[in-house]
Amino acid sequence: MIRIERRLRESRWLVVAVPIGSLIGAVILSSIILLATGHDPLATWQRLLERGFFSEGAFSATLVQATPLLLTGLAAAAAFRMQTWNIGAEGQLYLGAVGASGIAIALQSQSAALVIPAMVLAGLVTGAAWAAIPGALRAFFRTNEIITSLMLNYVGGLLITYLIFDSHSYWRELSTFTSRVFPQGKYLSPSAAWPSLQIAGIGVPFGFFIGMFAAAGLWMLYRSTRFGFEARVIGDSRSAAHYAGIRTRRKIVAVMALSGAFAGLGGASEIGDFRHVLDPRGLQQASFGYGGIVVAALARLNPFAVIVVALLLGGLSNGGFSLQGADFPAGLVGTLQGLILFCALAGELLVHYKIRLGRPAGVSHKPADAARVGAA
Amino acid sequence: MKKPVRLAATMLAAAVLGACGTTNSTTSTSQPFKAAWIYVGTAGDHGWTQAHDDGRKLVEQQLGTGVKTTFKENVPEGPQVEQVVEDLVRDGNKIIFATSFGFQDAMANEAAKHPDVKFEQATGFKTASNLAEYFGAAEDADYLTGMALGAASKKGKIGFVAPFPIPEVIREINAVALGAQTTHPGATVQVVWTNTWFDPTKEKQAAQSLLSRGVDAIGQGQDSPATGEAAKAVGVKWSGYDSDQSNVAPDIWLTGTVYHWGPYYVKRVKEAMNGSWKTGSYYGNIGDGMIDIAPFGQSVQQSVRDQINAKKEALKSGSFYEFTGPLKDQSGAVKIAAGTKMTLAQILSMDWFVQGVIGSPKGG
Repeated sequence: MIRIERRLRESRWLVVAVPIGSLIGAVILSSIILLATGHDPLATWQRLLERGFFSEGAFSATLVQATPLLLTGLAAAAAFRMQTWNIGAEGQLYLGAVGASGIAIALQSQSAALVIPAMVLAGLVTGAAWAAIPGALRAFFRTNEIITSLMLNYVGGLLITYLIFDSHSYWRELSTFTSRVFPQGKYLSPSAAWPSLQIAGIGVPFGFFIGMFAAAGLWMLYRSTRFGFEARVIGDSRSAAHYAGIRTRRKIVAVMALSGAFAGLGGASEIGDFRHVLDPRGLQQASFGYGGIVVAALARLNPFAVIVVALLLGGLSNGGFSLQGADFPAGLVGTLQGLILFCALAGELLVHYKIRLGRPAGVSHKPADAARVGAA
Repeated sequence: MKKPVRLAATMLAAAVLGACGTTNSTTSTSQPFKAAWIYVGTAGDHGWTQAHDDGRKLVEQQLGTGVKTTFKENVPEGPQVEQVVEDLVRDGNKIIFATSFGFQDAMANEAAKHPDVKFEQATGFKTASNLAEYFGAAEDADYLTGMALGAASKKGKIGFVAPFPIPEVIREINAVALGAQTTHPGATVQVVWTNTWFDPTKEKQAAQSLLSRGVDAIGQGQDSPATGEAAKAVGVKWSGYDSDQSNVAPDIWLTGTVYHWGPYYVKRVKEAMNGSWKTGSYYGNIGDGMIDIAPFGQSVQQSVRDQINAKKEALKSGSFYEFTGPLKDQSGAVKIAAGTKMTLAQILSMDWFVQGVIGSPKGG
């Protein structure tokens, strides 16, 4: 009989050995699949790494994918740390995009020094407000925030579609001939384009830069502030927190809003760094909000690890598109990416739990077993 | 047990080697000319993307070993497109076709960066010296499909599952209605918007809602054949879109609008190879074969087939054009005077429904 038990102590070497082991596992499993489908595993791996990270311009391209994943990853990590399951980063990102593009249209004749901070702020506020809805429902009515935040993703998706396709909204371009041919959002003025910082030939999007500071901020918050401590206590036991005099309801709404603010910032960055227009179809196809949940899980909710994992997943996504071709279907790329993530998460299990063969020692529910243990 | 371990070691070594970055991009003259396609959906979607991929296969077939084609599918609209294009350029592709409107901005940016590569954008409007644009007048075939729907409907109540309330789709619905009214005077076309190009579940629900309202023939402008599945359940005759979708429900299949992108792709790739490629805006139609109707289903009577084929020939020869006045809008007011042909600009920005269409051209 195989049993899985929680490790009482996590040994140090495991923390290093397990990720390496799971990487090897992923390589072996996916190589078998590649060989079975008639592809050269060596060439495939080389190309995935090269085009994802190391060839010219690859890292800049990876940062484009990693920026939204970093911010939605932080959104998930911020909430999950308190055992509050915000699945709504997707919708909060849409709302952040709505807020940031709206303020940029309103301030289009202003200078970048005014427009860009306003966009950042608008993204934070709209994302936070959207997340505060399931937060408040959780805190005051004890609804399941997994369901409510997930449902609001669909509402958010319909909202951005409505703004561009179904209405003559403030966001929609109506004046040009081409916008009558196909519905479009208003393109933002150049002053609303966020700067990209050139570091050693790599273009770092402004949103990624903010994200790195945000990660440090989140780490500080949970590590060395009263707010973070109380949030962790609530996460461990809400009733204990209540007994200790912590205002749990406020904290739940605040943490959800904080989480939503990160996701909303992701939406603002999509507009300011990359798209420069409210693009309902592209935002929904990308599904960065859901990607952020994977990022946070792989990063074990550690904000700094979120940065690394976002970069890895961004590179994996770009490298994956590079692998695709007439004889390399998208499904096979997805299988490889899935295997890598699966092995990484399975490895995670091994760090925290041990697998034992046979009966657990000393633990028993049946009197007969207890007697036998006693006899032994 | 040993083998996988050794394999893993090799893999890791490969990973490290790959990390060192050994890009050997030697382009010699003997290598085939490379052409690439970027799809928003999957190549096997039985609809829009498949029609394009059939075109790509025709290029491989007709141009043989001189050409090497590839494609990228499920590419999300937005910044990812630029990276996919960069990757394709790095692989040595010299002509790149993008087949979704949402790819346009990225294609325009990349065209400016790579003047030696030819770019082609389907359903767009931006052009540059190395960025061309192409699309097909689906409305020609939609008119003929409408004729089949009108003839199949006993009550003259036709349903239409439509993606977005945009001119491209509005003119298709208008063409269906005008066609239906020739074979069934006074026929109406009831519209339900799905707000998606491809979502089989939503498309099916929309079709079901129309069928429950009593339509007795149903058409669609979606990328999946889900409407046919809904029609099959109640035995109502239906028409398809993009590709020949008859196999979903062959007994009740009428016909459908299909795109033949292949000949255009072959021509453009050839031109890119021999250096005669020029930019432009190409609007194909039934005359040049970019647009056609799918083979008729068995339930379409011979007399109706003859009538439709005669109209098809008239469209091809140019002796007939579907958007010629008098055309009335939903309120009955004359929008296009008798004998006047609508201009291309008017068609491309059409935002009103003709008489007999039930629904709002603004969506909802």
